[in-house]
Amino acid sequence: MRIATAHTFDASLAQLQRRQKALGEAQEQLTSGKRVLRASDDPAAAAAAERALSTLSRSDAQQRALDASRAATQLAESSLGEAGALLQQARELLVGAGNGSYNDADRSSLGQVIAGLRGDLLALANRRDSDGRYIFGGQGSDGPPLQDGPGGVGFNGTPGQATTAAGAAAPLSVDGRAVWLRADDPALPGQALSVFDVMDRVASELMTPGRSQAEVAATVSRGLAEIDASSANLSTWRTRTGETLNRLDALSDQVSQEALDTREARSAAEDLDMVQAISDFQSRQSGYDAALKTYSIVQRMSLFDYLR
Amino acid sequence: MGTSPLMAMGIKAMAANYAALQTTSHNIANANVAGYSRQQVQLATAQGQFSGAGFFGRGVDVVAVTRSHDAFLTGEAAGARALAGMDASRLEQLQRLEGIFRPGESGLGHATDAFLNSLADLASRPTDGAVRQVVLARAGDLADRYGQAGSALDEVQAGVSSGLQATVAQVNTLARSIAETNQRIAALRGLGQPANDLLDQREQLISELSQHVKTSRIEADDGSLAIFIGGGQSLVLGAEAVHLTVVADAADPSRSALAIEAGGPPRPLAQDALGGGSIAGLLRFQNQDLVDARTLVGRLAAAVGGAINEQQRRGVTLQPPLGQVAGGDLFALGPARALPHAGNARDGSGNPIGSVALTLTDSSALQASEYELREDPALPGSWQLTRLRDGQVQTVASGDVVDGMRIDFGAPAPQPGDRFLLQPVTRAANGMATLLGDPDELAAASPLVASTGPANTGSVGVASLAMTAAPLPLPDASVRITFTDDSGGYTWEVLDAGNATLSSGSGNWQPGQPIPAPPLDLNGFSLQLSGVPRTGDLLTVAPTPAAAMAGNNGNALALLGLRDAAVVGGRSASDAWSQALAEVGVRVQSGRSSAEISQAVASQAELSRSAVSGVNLDEEAARLIQFQQSYQAAAKVLQVAQSLFDTLLEAAGGG
Repeated sequence: MRIATAHTFDASLAQLQRRQKALGEAQEQLTSGKRVLRASDDPAAAAAAERALSTLSRSDAQQRALDASRAATQLAESSLGEAGALLQQARELLVGAGNGSYNDADRSSLGQVIAGLRGDLLALANRRDSDGRYIFGGQGSDGPPLQDGPGGVGFNGTPGQATTAAGAAAPLSVDGRAVWLRADDPALPGQALSVFDVMDRVASELMTPGRSQAEVAATVSRGLAEIDASSANLSTWRTRTGETLNRLDALSDQVSQEALDTREARSAAEDLDMVQAISDFQSRQSGYDAALKTYSIVQRMSLFDYLR
Repeated sequence: MGTSPLMAMGIKAMAANYAALQTTSHNIANANVAGYSRQQVQLATAQGQFSGAGFFGRGVDVVAVTRSHDAFLTGEAAGARALAGMDASRLEQLQRLEGIFRPGESGLGHATDAFLNSLADLASRPTDGAVRQVVLARAGDLADRYGQAGSALDEVQAGVSSGLQATVAQVNTLARSIAETNQRIAALRGLGQPANDLLDQREQLISELSQHVKTSRIEADDGSLAIFIGGGQSLVLGAEAVHLTVVADAADPSRSALAIEAGGPPRPLAQDALGGGSIAGLLRFQNQDLVDARTLVGRLAAAVGGAINEQQRRGVTLQPPLGQVAGGDLFALGPARALPHAGNARDGSGNPIGSVALTLTDSSALQASEYELREDPALPGSWQLTRLRDGQVQTVASGDVVDGMRIDFGAPAPQPGDRFLLQPVTRAANGMATLLGDPDELAAASPLVASTGPANTGSVGVASLAMTAAPLPLPDASVRITFTDDSGGYTWEVLDAGNATLSSGSGNWQPGQPIPAPPLDLNGFSLQLSGVPRTGDLLTVAPTPAAAMAGNNGNALALLGLRDAAVVGGRSASDAWSQALAEVGVRVQSGRSSAEISQAVASQAELSRSAVSGVNLDEEAARLIQFQQSYQAAAKVLQVAQSLFDTLLEAAGGG
């Protein structure tokens, strides 16, 4: 078969260009560290990497939502702890008030201290988080959710809890009505008891002069029972927020672990195996080198050189 | 016998070898000329002269100069070239397309994710102006990316059109040159010898033409070649060339089509009939790949934008008066279009008589396709809708809803024989923009809020409350749900503002199922429960109190829920994007392998052709020596003849 000289040149040049292009592609992959730079490099891997990227950006959002929930829940938990301490203080004062040697003036001053504690408790119940949200505001409240009213402290928000979505619902607030106004009445099972009503009544009864020892004893015993019931309700809620915190931590760990796994999946889909890539690059390099050498040797040979 | 025959023979041999040397030099000179066919001198032995002793040879004659040419191999090479040209031009365009479907952080998918995920922050801090600003900025990014993708696709279309213009101009020039060459070849036909170099020149012109458009040929008696394209349409006939032109596509004027000008208005040539060449590659890319890419991007834009707009309309904004202002659309999208075919019936001023209007009704049911609406040829008066992506055909009437779009015939209705190209999503990404300027216009709050009764004994809670229809159909109405047994049976009552019962009914709740069970709609909500309800437990779904409106994040959560919802034809937005990306990737990949294969076939065909027609310089070097030696030998014959003559003269003079 005849080999047309012009075609040989063209074909060799095309071959050289192909080798050079392959080398350039290997270099591009090496410098970017990615095996899949375009979807056509490996469509299935590109789609997998894309899904992984989507999961990663979702993980970031989930972590931010969990952080917001954790901040609110921590604040609720510590507020409930402080509220428990205030109630404990009120309980000790009330036990003291039962002392038979106390006179009206002594009881009145104790009553005033308890009234002050009640004010502190209300302030705790109306605490706001760093975003200005009332943490005991339930499903939302634009003013203090627990407000003094004609019939005692009323709940001004919407019952329930606000949540944010972090894979699972994560609370942003606590139901203030259930925490502060719905302890079990020890005297009337099934009836709700407001911690503020309890303290209001104890304080006002202690500040009432001229009561008999028996009346004072009744105030103390009823008050203690009711304060204990309120404390129990608060500590139930404190336990519940504690559990929420644990769950948020677990969720957060889970999201981080998922993000880590997803990062690995993304890397497996689109990243370059450096060892193999370098070896590929070297083999392409020697291929190109060989093509250049043979080109120069073969093209130098011509019968004209021998006819002298 | 005299010496003159010897001398004549020497002269003829010298002339013949000189001719061979001349031809060899011509070959060497033209070794690198594209399309040149190697030439050789055909020598024949001159008829001998008879004598009593037999025939005495009379030397050699030059019969003809022929070119080494194989019509079959040349045709093969031209055909392979046409296919390679088609695949190469399509691949070039596909690679431009791939630049629009970028993976990773700079892609459309990531912008969509970033926007949807920013809604998680809005759900955490619905009143925070900074968070709202970030959400709006992400929405702006999303709209920009889609808008840019739309205009990049427009640029690709513009590139295709100008590429077609340039190529068609080249084809016209080549066709004219072939016609002229035909004329010259026919004129030289009378000389009785082939006009080798002209034939080569014409072959080369045809070969260049084949790269742009696949040709077939028939040789006429006068040696001229008739060139046909597109399955029998003549391009060159003898000394006449037909003019090709680029016209606007009859179905969609923004696309280009190839037409032929042979007296009268340009007649369009079907893309499928072209068979090969870069023009066919460009047209195929334009009519299939680019349309598919446009509908893929457009469907994503229309479905994601549509779902967000719809959910946004169901929520309540932070604008004053607080709690009264329902959300408005967040995204503006490009229009759904119904384009009348150029051949539709027209009135006196040239406007189409009949019209069709297209309205998108359900963004999640949209398909990544265009549709053709035409009268059923078998059943006049009945209209057929063909989904062009998969060829599915169905009969439609005015007002029908197909794939999330409603088709309404205008007044006057489409005329018999009319055709329309329906583009529900093709231009959706173009000009996508955010419509909200004030962060307070984001509807993070839900108009309704669900709460559990204070005296509930079960653990039932509200997992989620999503608005499924526009809010406030019954202002101030609330819905009370009372569980009547421990296995999920409940009664519901819709109450007006004064707690009077408007309607009531009962149902049965199963874990994982919403209340109310679809398709029942109580007040535009869908409630998901957690926990276990007990007999007598109460749930109310009431208008969100004004005091709780600012901090309510119900609609932000519903918007966030679109991340997982099947908003794009049964898939989530991110899945649909990954799939679109992979689809384009696969197309580029297969386009690349087609181009590689057809290039290899073309190289092989060219190798076979050049094996017959090409010049090998080593061969020519050998021939040069061969003919040089023959020439020298012939000269020696002349010298001998001369010396014989001298000998004769001397003998005569000496005697």
